[in-house]
Amino acid sequence: MDLSFLLLTIISRLDGERSIYASYHLLRGKRSGQTLQDVEYYSLKGFFCILPRLKIDVFDGAINHLKKAGYISIDEDSVVYITKKGKEVLHTLPLYRFNGWDYRGREHVFFSRLSLIVQTASYFRADQKSFMPMQNDYDIQLFVKEFLLKQRILDEEFSNQLFQELRNSIEQSGMNGCQKTIFVHRLGGYKHAGWTWKQLSDEMGIKPFTLSLYYIESLHMLLQTISQSSKYPLLTEIIKNIQVSTYLTESTIKTKELFNQGMSMQKISQLRHLKMSTIEDHFVEISINDQSFPIEEFVSATEIAAVVAKSSELGTKRLRLLKEEFPSLTYFQLRLILGTGSRGGAKWISNQSC
Amino acid sequence: MDIKSILLKKFGFEHFRVGQEEVIRNVISNRDTIAILPTGSGKSLCYQLPAYIKNGAVLIISPLVALMEDQVAIMKKNGEKRVVAINSFLAYKDRQRIMNRLDLYKFIFISPEMLMQNNVAEQIKKLKIAFIVVDEAHCISQWGFDFRPDYLRIGEFLKQLERPNILALTATADNQVLGDIINYLRLETPAVHKHSLDRKNISYSMKQMNSEHEKTAWILERTKKTAGPGIIYVASRKRADELAIYLKEHGISIASYHAGMEQEDRAFIQEQFITGEINWICATTAFGMGIHKNDIRQVIHENMSSTIAGYMQEVGRAGRDGDLSAATLLFTEEDIGKTRFIVQNDLPTETEVRHYFNLIKEGSSKNEATQLSGISETGTRIIDYYLERMPMESALLKIKEQKTEKEKQLQNMLHIINGENCIRKSLLKFYGETLVAAPASCCSVCGLGEEDWLFEMKRGNSTRQIVDWADRLARLLQS
Repeated sequence: MDLSFLLLTIISRLDGERSIYASYHLLRGKRSGQTLQDVEYYSLKGFFCILPRLKIDVFDGAINHLKKAGYISIDEDSVVYITKKGKEVLHTLPLYRFNGWDYRGREHVFFSRLSLIVQTASYFRADQKSFMPMQNDYDIQLFVKEFLLKQRILDEEFSNQLFQELRNSIEQSGMNGCQKTIFVHRLGGYKHAGWTWKQLSDEMGIKPFTLSLYYIESLHMLLQTISQSSKYPLLTEIIKNIQVSTYLTESTIKTKELFNQGMSMQKISQLRHLKMSTIEDHFVEISINDQSFPIEEFVSATEIAAVVAKSSELGTKRLRLLKEEFPSLTYFQLRLILGTGSRGGAKWISNQSC
Repeated sequence: MDIKSILLKKFGFEHFRVGQEEVIRNVISNRDTIAILPTGSGKSLCYQLPAYIKNGAVLIISPLVALMEDQVAIMKKNGEKRVVAINSFLAYKDRQRIMNRLDLYKFIFISPEMLMQNNVAEQIKKLKIAFIVVDEAHCISQWGFDFRPDYLRIGEFLKQLERPNILALTATADNQVLGDIINYLRLETPAVHKHSLDRKNISYSMKQMNSEHEKTAWILERTKKTAGPGIIYVASRKRADELAIYLKEHGISIASYHAGMEQEDRAFIQEQFITGEINWICATTAFGMGIHKNDIRQVIHENMSSTIAGYMQEVGRAGRDGDLSAATLLFTEEDIGKTRFIVQNDLPTETEVRHYFNLIKEGSSKNEATQLSGISETGTRIIDYYLERMPMESALLKIKEQKTEKEKQLQNMLHIINGENCIRKSLLKFYGETLVAAPASCCSVCGLGEEDWLFEMKRGNSTRQIVDWADRLARLLQS
């Protein structure tokens, strides 16, 4: 797995519609109206926020690599296109199983909890009650302490069960060989300290960045497996509150509350001292994520049908092009339509490859 | 309960180590105390034990975050959970949580910067403080090898308190530094305990080399043929990584260790080193802290140290178990110039100070002024401290004095490196000690005696291998 090819997959969906930096913001999980909207319009939820600390020079490097290879082109407005040659390699790319939208970096909290629990179980099995914890975050330590207090940790049965659950869920998750190796070697215990990224990279002959992509994907896969099964009671407890409980940004939640109380957009804007455009962003975000959003208060059913049909016909979700077709509608209305249109499945997005 | 029973019950030791008991008795009897004890002699016991006899919390002022975090982790590991570290790296939410319940803690580690924040100081003033510990107390002296202006402010903070007693701890203090400690901390007729810094089980070698290449070749031979575990100190993070890779390619069990690594990876390396999964660590001198291992057999310096005190502290990590250990320092002619440049560059020049001063006067922020005048962060801290207290001309004089001092320290080190006298003797002389009897393995000048032990001991062979995932999981949870 390689950043360039990951980007090629993303770009294949944004083909001719968005600037090259849309994919950068996507990977870093920027919580702006534009990025949140892109995630929906182009079915990119899985990739959202998987690399929150991605550096711009690393990103640029990966993009240059794709340009040089002739897989993509970028026009003078920075809009990115996938080339014929790029399309030809698409089918050779792996099917990614990221689920960034649901976890947004919280997968690392899960792993830290697990790491400390495994370390503790391992040391306790060896009758070592005092050791240096590999995780020094207070919240992690507190969680693990509370978790362990509920378990019969002195009983070997505890670590046996943890072992069984981990082995079975890893098996079931569909991780590939590399991912299983990385995952278990990042865990450590008595007489078996964990491996650093550098050590894994040297030993496995895989670049550190690729390792981390494999690793993040494997966490998402495992989390998915655990959350969908009742066979892993210990792990189910460990993944508590890892999945994000609301997809809305905090500011949007406030706006939504006021809207639910019956306030108009103008009123909310005044009360919150926020620009009207920000409130519009919030409404688009709500319309995307909330099935019960009353879109008919803003646009008519006929308008929705017409815009959806046109968008499908032209094969675009670019606002500027649609605005030319529907001059009577505002940009805000168009965004609402595109947002709700993409809600609950991608029936009419199927002209996109992948 | 008497102190011997506490020693056994709380710490599991039957006997005190040399020097500890006297210090502890002084602290218990409410006397200001200065303890100069060599690195690795169990300094922390000197405040931990009296804490269990006295009511109230112990406030421990410590200069380095890494050191502080480390001490907290060790104490927690040993079962004392009422311990906390307050420093600027603390996340806001954690800081709020801790500051609101400071009364929960028996041991409060704090950095001098935090002590200067009013809200923090206010909270501390509300506490009942048993006594105050100033760790690494030599940092208070501008003659010390790592002078920290923030330390001078400790004295100012103490003025606000109804003064509890103070225990000043350090591994290195000559008379000049000792005077500064007494003076700035306003100690009242302190009891001074000084113990020989001579570590008989460590042999000292200084080896002149012709090139960097020769050094690398020497280190390779050495790590191939002689006993670990050991630490190799290098000048930069980049070099630490490079050298570790090179040695690893030649079959040496080694990893680099420095502040540029993420926390989890650092913890892994430390654990691997302590359990013997890896035999060598390649570290920067700036980040040697945090490694607590008693059986370190060798410390190798790839470059010249800029001060004797710093050198002694790094070397002091070897042989805490009392068994024979070897310290080797490699240097080239060029190293001397390089070291001088680095040392002198730390302090701002007169032009830079004037520029900085004018920028501040014209209304620039401190950050802007620092950047525009090109002064290092340490440099700014020093200037700020002086400029707040004296006119610029005097501040400039102070900085000039410090430059001279740094050069003097460098000369002291050079004297030892180039000298024809016993290295052990010279090191001790620096601290005003006289060597009574040299051990058989003394130094590269007197002779190292039979060094067979170095070559005979079996080298830790690296058994670290990637294993099948299910096997590894079983080893962690089923063995």
